[in-house]
Amino acid sequence: MDIIACIKRVPQTAEADVKIDSSGKDIVKDRLQFDMNESDTYALEEAILLKEKFSGSLTVISVGTFDAEDTLRIALAKGADNAIRIKAEDFGELDGYKTAQLLKAVIKDLKHDAIFTGCIATDDYYSQVGVTLAELLGMPHASLVTKIEIDGNTVHAYRELEGGLLEHLAMSLPALFTIQTGINEPRYASLIAIRRAAKKEIKVIGKEEINAEDIVSFSSLEKLFTPPVGERAEILSGTLDEIGTRVQGIVKEKGLL
Amino acid sequence: MRGIININPEIRDAILESGGDDAIKCYSCGRCMAACPWNLIDDLDYTTYRFCQRIKLGAIVDSEAKEDIAADTDEVFRCIGCDSCRHECPRGVNLSDVLRAVRRILVDYDSYPAELKGVISRLYSSGNPLGESSAKRADWAKDLGIPHFDGTQEFVYFPCCLPAYDARLKLVAEATASLLTKAGISFGIIGEEEFCCGEAVRRVGAEKVFQSAVNNNTRVFQKFNVKNVITTSPHCFKTFQTDYPAFSDIQIMHVVQVLHQCLADGKLKPERPFKKKVVYHDPCTLGRQMGIYDQPRELLQSIPELNLVEVPVFNREFSVCCGAGAMGLWRDWPQDQRLVKIRTEQIFATGADVLCVACPYCLQMFEENFKSMNVDIEVMDISEILFSSLGQ
Repeated sequence: MDIIACIKRVPQTAEADVKIDSSGKDIVKDRLQFDMNESDTYALEEAILLKEKFSGSLTVISVGTFDAEDTLRIALAKGADNAIRIKAEDFGELDGYKTAQLLKAVIKDLKHDAIFTGCIATDDYYSQVGVTLAELLGMPHASLVTKIEIDGNTVHAYRELEGGLLEHLAMSLPALFTIQTGINEPRYASLIAIRRAAKKEIKVIGKEEINAEDIVSFSSLEKLFTPPVGERAEILSGTLDEIGTRVQGIVKEKGLL
Repeated sequence: MRGIININPEIRDAILESGGDDAIKCYSCGRCMAACPWNLIDDLDYTTYRFCQRIKLGAIVDSEAKEDIAADTDEVFRCIGCDSCRHECPRGVNLSDVLRAVRRILVDYDSYPAELKGVISRLYSSGNPLGESSAKRADWAKDLGIPHFDGTQEFVYFPCCLPAYDARLKLVAEATASLLTKAGISFGIIGEEEFCCGEAVRRVGAEKVFQSAVNNNTRVFQKFNVKNVITTSPHCFKTFQTDYPAFSDIQIMHVVQVLHQCLADGKLKPERPFKKKVVYHDPCTLGRQMGIYDQPRELLQSIPELNLVEVPVFNREFSVCCGAGAMGLWRDWPQDQRLVKIRTEQIFATGADVLCVACPYCLQMFEENFKSMNVDIEVMDISEILFSSLGQ
């Protein structure tokens, strides 16, 4: 089975003190750690597990700048066989649609039975690339997948719906899956694989190979801003004791207890 | 049983180049394993003496099987850097440094315990492991009238991250600052430009993040022309001396050294009785690693009616780690695999009313564990006990 996993290098912002930069279109990144996008780590692991079970090859692809090669090397160390970086710097501002088109331009020429992506990226939270890529490639797909079983040429994909419902899809290969966190336990890399990965060549594809004129965005970023405080929101300040007392007062005033 | 191993000189060389060259000295005598506190836990065999041999053969974390890699990686990240092994090692092998070399390679490839990721990320972006705003770093001192260090004071007081932000540990910073003021020490704080010393991130192998801490603190200390530093944490105390090349001409003192000197000079006079049975826990970094055993005990013995007791056998250089080192404070070990429980049992057996510590990590670790084990022993920093004994 030939598998492709799409991964993204993202800044860790969940617990960081995030500030908007002077362009107003990006965040200050010089004090942020960068990692593989969280749900992509699960997508990668799912791809590795399938490769181990059915043999074949696993190719990882990332649309990113040069630093993304560090993330691709991590994927190589964990079990991918080949890595491709699509030069983000060649294609200007990217939205989910444009990123999906870049991936399609490369993947259409690669042999593939299954494609895995994360279900959402923790930098822009667009959650568009996987499903758009599947549509562009004309492939069956399942989003937000929490369990996959393969039986012959049929894939059983399970997705969580709202209200505790689980959807069970029976699909034929080739197909694309956007993977939810928690579906598996992403692995560590062994030192032997790390040494091997450090020496592997990463294929780099840019505007020489992909005609940039054909790749367009659906949306453009106007500006980033912190959400304004809503009319019914009250931000409490003071010491923990003062805030606690005030919260207690509000709860009583509103008759919530 | 793994079967016959494959020698891999490339892995060996990578580890040695990352700072693991002490591994070469080891001859697998096993004294490190006997000294390692993890082996005080029932049903846990931490075969520390095998690490160096496996490194010399390049056969560590070398399996291709997911479960084997996970088990090996967990073992590499188990060591909390207490240095009990080095103390016992006939050849002085620094096993925690050897393991740090392995960790450095694994961390670069995102192969380390998940619970550490958030801590490292917070430290890098905010300058402290709690992810608090640097603007609030001096809040603990705002009602105490402590000046910002501007070069006219003799000392910088460096409280460390937990005493700067944590509600309980702020009391330690306050007691320390009050003692220094009372003793007439000229000092100021750096406040929001201060950055975590980074000792813990270095131990887990996040070397790039550690270097950012070094660069930041070096820039700030040079900007204010700092010459003398007092630390609350033994971890800052040690790493500033051993891992900050630009600090070689800066005098770094742990607070117990300063307070001991103040006592000798008659600048502090404990007069109020402290009528309690107190057991002193030697923090690994202050004791075994920096050799400070007598000064805290002499400080406590100077307090009227304080009854100082020792943990039998496991005191001074044989003290058992609380488990907080090398980011152990943020690890989520199974309940039956916690070093702090072992140490709590030893402390409880002394019948002490108060556990005295001289390290913020130890204080937090014991206080939380005493609550969860319903142990009725008060945990106090040495500065808090001393402050309570001063006359008006």
